[in-house]
Amino acid sequence: MALDREQKEEAEVLLMGNEAIARGALEAGVRVAAGYPGTPSSEIIETLSRSSETGKLYVEWSTNEKVAMEVAAAASFAGLRSLCVMKQNGVNVASDFLLHLTGSGTRGGMVLVACDDPGALSSANEGESRHFARLMEIPLIEPADFQEAKEMTRWAFDLSEQIRNIVMVRSVTRMSHASGNVVLGTLPALEGKAEFLCDGPLSDPERGPVVSAPVMAKHRLQQEKLRKAIALFEKSPFNAYSGPEKPELLIITSSACTLYSREAVSRLHAEERAGILKLGTTWPLPPMLLKRHLRKTQKVLIVEEVLPFLEDHVKILAAEQAREIGIKTFYGKNDGALPTVGELNPDLVADAVGRILGIDPPAIPAEYGEKLRRLTEFLPKRDQTFCPGCPHRASYWGIREALQRDHRGGFVCGDIGCYAMATLSQAAGFHTAKTLHAMGSGTGIASGFGKLGPFGMTQPVLAVCGDSTFYHAAIPALINAIHQRADMTFIVLDNGGTAMTGFQSHPGLDVNAMGEAAPMVDIAAICGAMGVPVTIEDPFDLIGTRETLNRLLEEPGVKILILKQSCALSPEKKGKKRFLMRVDDTLCRGEACGCNRLCTRIFRCPGLLWNRERKRAEIDEVICAGCGFCAGICPAGAIRSEEAAKP
Amino acid sequence: MQQQRRDPTEKGDGRRGQNELEEQVLRAGLCTGCGACVNICPYQAIHHDRTVTLHACDLAQGRCYACCPQTPADLSDLRRKLYGKTDCTPELGPMKGFFIARAADEGLRQGAQHGGTVTTLVTLALREGLIDAAVLAGEGEGLLPRSVTITDAKVAAKMGKSRFVVSPTVAEFNRVCRGDAAKIGVVATPCQAVALAKMRTQPVSEVESGIEKLHLVVGLFCGWALSWQKLAALLKAKTDLAQVTGMDIPPSRYHTLEVYTRGETIRVSLDEVTPCVREACHSCDDMTAEFSDLSVGSARLPEGWETARSWNQVIVRTQRGMDLLELARRRGVLEFREPPAENLQKLKAAALGKKKAAASRSKYLNSTANVEETDGFGS
Repeated sequence: MALDREQKEEAEVLLMGNEAIARGALEAGVRVAAGYPGTPSSEIIETLSRSSETGKLYVEWSTNEKVAMEVAAAASFAGLRSLCVMKQNGVNVASDFLLHLTGSGTRGGMVLVACDDPGALSSANEGESRHFARLMEIPLIEPADFQEAKEMTRWAFDLSEQIRNIVMVRSVTRMSHASGNVVLGTLPALEGKAEFLCDGPLSDPERGPVVSAPVMAKHRLQQEKLRKAIALFEKSPFNAYSGPEKPELLIITSSACTLYSREAVSRLHAEERAGILKLGTTWPLPPMLLKRHLRKTQKVLIVEEVLPFLEDHVKILAAEQAREIGIKTFYGKNDGALPTVGELNPDLVADAVGRILGIDPPAIPAEYGEKLRRLTEFLPKRDQTFCPGCPHRASYWGIREALQRDHRGGFVCGDIGCYAMATLSQAAGFHTAKTLHAMGSGTGIASGFGKLGPFGMTQPVLAVCGDSTFYHAAIPALINAIHQRADMTFIVLDNGGTAMTGFQSHPGLDVNAMGEAAPMVDIAAICGAMGVPVTIEDPFDLIGTRETLNRLLEEPGVKILILKQSCALSPEKKGKKRFLMRVDDTLCRGEACGCNRLCTRIFRCPGLLWNRERKRAEIDEVICAGCGFCAGICPAGAIRSEEAAKP
Repeated sequence: MQQQRRDPTEKGDGRRGQNELEEQVLRAGLCTGCGACVNICPYQAIHHDRTVTLHACDLAQGRCYACCPQTPADLSDLRRKLYGKTDCTPELGPMKGFFIARAADEGLRQGAQHGGTVTTLVTLALREGLIDAAVLAGEGEGLLPRSVTITDAKVAAKMGKSRFVVSPTVAEFNRVCRGDAAKIGVVATPCQAVALAKMRTQPVSEVESGIEKLHLVVGLFCGWALSWQKLAALLKAKTDLAQVTGMDIPPSRYHTLEVYTRGETIRVSLDEVTPCVREACHSCDDMTAEFSDLSVGSARLPEGWETARSWNQVIVRTQRGMDLLELARRRGVLEFREPPAENLQKLKAAALGKKKAAASRSKYLNSTANVEETDGFGS
């Protein structure tokens, strides 16, 4: 979907949720957008970067989410509308700044879009950014369909300017990554000069310095802003009820769960018995609106994902209004009607609604069930693994060999990126990585492990981090390790981009988010400046990598190894094979002693196949990336590589 | 008489795989570092002087287990197959002759350990085309020998020093036998010679083995080998490892490991050295490399150590070994002297001592009884 400025107004187009959010920001006249890539949020900045125009809209991939929020805040302080975008744990990273920003307030409309990942489909956590809205005392709004994703984002800028504070728009994976029809609105002319007015007194929100002090006064002011938001929320069209006048069951929900709730009610044919109050403004809740709807019934089911955020706040309001609305029976998380982990879906909601109303959910027809069973038998069991030609597979192969040779029980502290899979899967990383937490944490944890020698720890400690992760959060931990003389080996898996999320740019590249030339900030030079010698190896050179690593593992202190090889999906490599690979049948030892299928049983690049009939390995020419690495691991020299002809 | 190397109550036919190798040998600390399981598949490797498992192989049977000198084997059967009706002494194994010899070339003796007999024999075998490649332990770094293959007789002359840390010689053989060499000679410690013997008598697997290229095994008398890591740690405290030019063990009354550096000779008490001995060596019952064509070790002579240290004792076990020794005599590259009457008895007593110690599997070797006629490795 191209969302360029020529797109016709009033046109109805199919947009991904994230594209709708980006369009909403464009329709609001956003001038600065910054973010850090992270699924499911990345397409918002990507969409905006394609719409960027010199002097009209500035878009950047920042080094991390905190910096992104600071960059966007500066634009707001200078009177421009700005947007910052991140996934749920990015809000954790930005939260220190956010706490102060909410105290100082904003000027130009400023919106934080946080995309949560219930069920952790592509995350190492299912943390929720919703709770930050309450913690930071800022308004939270959540779209429930694609049109709303656009409209609410656009409106969030107005709201921000009305209350002079940042507004949080929260999406979830199923909102951000699903697509739906959206009627486009008008794109404004982008005008307005950036100027930071700062010559006024501290108390002047228009011309004073932007600070969170005096804290009490600013905090009080912030809470007044929130009350103003409540008043606006009471009348918001994003909160809507559908259902009977006096439903037996009131479902209160928001976001993608609105769709699940509608489907569940429809599937149970309970439209006459259950009503749905869909909330778009989820913090702070508008009390009068809630009172009106809670009065309708005795039974209330709150449908939301993961923890009871909405449920808790509805219950507080219900308790406060009990004399007027009566005592309610609540269903949701605390009574176990819905799970407190993972995503919801129409089945789970239908089960909950069915149990409350005494309706058996319609059974799956036997014939359908049988078809399903037969079809799923054919589904191959797929490994969670790296792509064919992925340099991480080669890196971990070298690391694994070096650690096994070293023989002291060494292990890798993992970090965030594709290479995090080494904690989960034999096929991705051969079980070398043993810890996995936040971005940069592998390095910090290794720094800590590296000080446990005096307590008897003899295991060598390694930390891996990707190039983008290096800039994001590994640098302070690395500085710590060096200064504290921790014994650890720090490995940068430099694949030349923020690969996992779709190859976004980062400070190590010579191009920025808008495709402009940008100075490269060199990782080796940074490490060298910290006073630690840096070794650079190509992970496709297995022997060089392994020997270097074995040497480094025996040295004390912090050792730094950069394993540099571009991602197989990088623009310069994608679709281009360096080598044409083939297996020489006469040499392949197959399952015999002497090999036992090393390439397809242990190495397991998806480009290698095991032919059960012929009992020989084969190359899947369709997906083989032609990296050539497997030729070096074959003990019989049966995997042959031939330099591919230059196109 | 059936003679089992390991516990005879061991179940099964002795053919197992990597799992059992890990359990019975590697994790049990019984690996000799000979390298027999290395370079036949991608799963085992040698790092420094230690055999490691890189990845798990789930085959129930494997050559790694079958050829390991530390897994159960019927040694009498092995002896029958390889040595026929040769006279066999209980202490020293098959024996066709016992000699005291040394290199005729004094310069060669200077560069080698003791009499330089092994160096002379390997050089001769290469020069005469009896073998076209020799696998032996060469100079490495920081006390760690490196297994090398040489095809040039002139190079062999530079490799004659004893090594006190094991080198993965059989791994190097496994590599070389897949290459161009047609007739390979190996200078082997007792454990390496057992591995090669097991390889020669194993049923040929469906994968190429190359063992038929093995044309000569020159065995080395061996009391024990040291763990590289422990030895390095011990000597690091006493000298700069880069300065070490060689080592030797004089007769047992000195109770000393002599370490020769560029500046001086450092004498290390065997009380300090014995804790560095590889665990596997404590249960080894073969002092004289019984599964070789001929075995060579240091000599003891009535004139005393200063004279004896420039001679070797040689046990010839096969006709091929005898032919080589006689060729060396004819070509004048080895010189001989009559073995003193008591030497063979002393050697037998020492070898028996090692067998007894192995049978009792004492934690540390009884240094006075067991190293009487041996050094570490080498000629």
